[in-house]
Amino acid sequence: MTRITLLYFTLVLGALAQVSHKDVAKGADEDWLTYAGTYSGWRYSPLKQITADNARNIVPKWVYHVPGARGLRSSPIIYRGVLYITNTNSVYAIDARSGRLVWQYADPRAKKGGVNRGAAIWADKVYFTTSDNYLVALDRHTGALIFNKKFADVGQGTTSTSAPLVAKGKVIVGSAGGDSGVRGFIMALSADDGKQLWKTYTVPARGEKGSETWGDLIDWGGGAAWLSGTYDPELNTLYWTTGNPWPDYNADVRKGDNLYTCSLLALDLDSGMMKWYFQFTPHDTHDWDAQSWPVLVDTEIRGQKRKAVLHANRNGFFYALDRVTGEFLRATQLIDKITWAKGVDDKGRPIPLPNSDPTPEGNWVCPSVKGATNWMGQSYNPGTALLYVLTLEQCGMYYRSSQEPQPMKNFSGGGATEEGGQVILRALDPKTGKRVWEYPMTGLGRMWTGTVSTAGGVLFSGDDDGHLVALDAKNGKNLWHFNMGETLGASPITYSVDGKQYVAIASSTAVFSFGLFEPVIGVEPPVIQIK
Amino acid sequence: MSVADFLWENNRAKISPRPEYTRSSMRTFAAALLTASLLAQHGRYLSDSKHPSIGNPEAIAAGTKLFMGSCAGCHGPDGGGGARGPNLVRRSLWHPLSDDAIFQVIRKGVPGTDMPPTKLSDEQTWNLVAFIHALTGPASTNPVPGDPASGRAVYWGAKAGCSNCHAIRGQGGRMGPDLSNVGGSRPLAVIREAIVEPAKDLYYLGNEAATVTLKNGQILQGVAKNRSNYSLQLVDTKGILHLIQMNDVKHLTLSASTSMPTDYATRLSKDELRDLLAYLAAQDIRADEREGMRERKASKQ
Repeated sequence: MTRITLLYFTLVLGALAQVSHKDVAKGADEDWLTYAGTYSGWRYSPLKQITADNARNIVPKWVYHVPGARGLRSSPIIYRGVLYITNTNSVYAIDARSGRLVWQYADPRAKKGGVNRGAAIWADKVYFTTSDNYLVALDRHTGALIFNKKFADVGQGTTSTSAPLVAKGKVIVGSAGGDSGVRGFIMALSADDGKQLWKTYTVPARGEKGSETWGDLIDWGGGAAWLSGTYDPELNTLYWTTGNPWPDYNADVRKGDNLYTCSLLALDLDSGMMKWYFQFTPHDTHDWDAQSWPVLVDTEIRGQKRKAVLHANRNGFFYALDRVTGEFLRATQLIDKITWAKGVDDKGRPIPLPNSDPTPEGNWVCPSVKGATNWMGQSYNPGTALLYVLTLEQCGMYYRSSQEPQPMKNFSGGGATEEGGQVILRALDPKTGKRVWEYPMTGLGRMWTGTVSTAGGVLFSGDDDGHLVALDAKNGKNLWHFNMGETLGASPITYSVDGKQYVAIASSTAVFSFGLFEPVIGVEPPVIQIK
Repeated sequence: MSVADFLWENNRAKISPRPEYTRSSMRTFAAALLTASLLAQHGRYLSDSKHPSIGNPEAIAAGTKLFMGSCAGCHGPDGGGGARGPNLVRRSLWHPLSDDAIFQVIRKGVPGTDMPPTKLSDEQTWNLVAFIHALTGPASTNPVPGDPASGRAVYWGAKAGCSNCHAIRGQGGRMGPDLSNVGGSRPLAVIREAIVEPAKDLYYLGNEAATVTLKNGQILQGVAKNRSNYSLQLVDTKGILHLIQMNDVKHLTLSASTSMPTDYATRLSKDELRDLLAYLAAQDIRADEREGMRERKASKQ
């Protein structure tokens, strides 16, 4: 009886609560309130019921088949026992203990399909964006629409795919669609009513500082902001990555560095003003978007305490920057085989090797267009002080077309293929940038799944072969695996309800939740009266 | 397809046939929808569809005649279905067809069924599509009689009391289904049916009125969003969600009928009902786009 009372008490109190800055800023606990679990992008949870010792006892608890889903990319968020997950133009609220649907919201008249990476939560509203750029706010209890606000025109090529990030009442969204010639942007909208508060373009306007790094195509420069970023409340700074310049593979028509594409931008949360930028791949010719998580870690680098931002980039290098000033601190090789650059100089600029640009006949370059890593969720674990990154050892052909560039026509100035390759999960030491251990995977390099790690010393990751695996976070030793039966494109999270820890992940078509085995108690048929 | 729609379809067989008065009221309504009031609203609402006949009152009127002559025999005069043809209005809720697809079905028929191919001209066929769209398409994409501004007053007023239970864009009660997009997702006939005959079917399964007594003595009242032998997801009268394990439940009472008042056909005057429908028909989460489309079309003319 005590157990029941306590449990019930918890859920009701929870129901009256509202998500506040303090809740999100303290990071994951029972709940998982942002895409990456923490503002700093750690995908880390202090939960420790599941440990390296008992992970062998993990069993599936429930599965929810998302109607019509194919290729889910959504990482769930959790608040007070409810799991919120998105599919294309839709959101599902699921009882996180039973896997039963609470409500769903769908906007089938959206002007575009495409992937969606997840929802956000603030106060008592759940937020997500439609593929045609509406920010939608829903009552978290019932799914009732509070407001929807269009923030960009899909007719101009901009779409929306990422989970919004909410910080101090501002919902931050970004633009996708950089492969067809658009001007990328990051925008803040009011969490109360969707009113636009600021908009920062990722490519300068003609005449603005940085415009000298472009030619005539500056109006269509790309630099999409298709992945959410991270946030440092103390510095009140957002860290957001930008995508490739356009056209992707024909760079002759855009001579110069093409600022601020393939970059990390540090923006003031209140004004959207750019505090600093760091461009990983100036004048990119390989479609190496910088979309990979800027992970905020305080650590010692070269004997000095630093507020660092760590960034594993598609171009093959693993960077550490000072996140206060943007100063370049260090770059190391993320993958073994890099053929386009011989390294990174002491200012952080790559030193390109000759003959590594796309050609009409095709040029074989490593890494492939998919990159040495990508947007897969990385995890930083303060217990092991390691960063876990899914890397891809893969090369590919890059082709250049000399056709006249045509914006908004799905024109990319060439093309690329990728061949063979292997996904390797790597544990990196933020202090040195060096590998501590690695976990190679079987597969074809087709996964987009990521990781979550816990105070229990367990690292969960999807693998390249459709399994969810549990590894010992200290040494990468395999502890447990489960065949999800589908290619994985979404990252796992962990949460707790009623004192029990769960691990949830979306497969291609369904959401699964796992926990430690316990004998099931038989349920008496309920006493139900219908009158 | 929503769960509610799916359940509705699967429970349809269990529902007793409509009483005759329902049919005649629907017929009256269909007639009203088809003639004078449609023509009076010319140019007022435009649809998402590209074909000019969609939402065009003259095309709809011409399509009406064709429908009554050739289609109503099987599909019923209100599109509500008959012995040989399916209910077009309901079907559109769980399996909407594009206007082009409806065009093709009329043209080619459905092989293996009683639905024959036709030899209508393109124009006639589009007139028929325009009518079917008016009957089965989202209310917000069709001409609707009544005054939305007066309807707003009815909706938020004490006499109808709609807002006590239903919210629109965050305002109003949370116990009943959210109506922010009711015009953008439901044909007018279905909205009307839900108001004047809410008890007629189980359309709102997933919105059962529930009272639950927990083993710890607490009593909760609200709406069961979902339930099984093992768990219950309940939104209480304050709009707060409760996740309950059936192991913790002593007793659960569900209402066999809808919590929606069943007297709107008499409580509201004819004009009030018509205006309320016009207001609800305009509730569309993408209303701003039709606004834009109207402007673009106007500027071209």
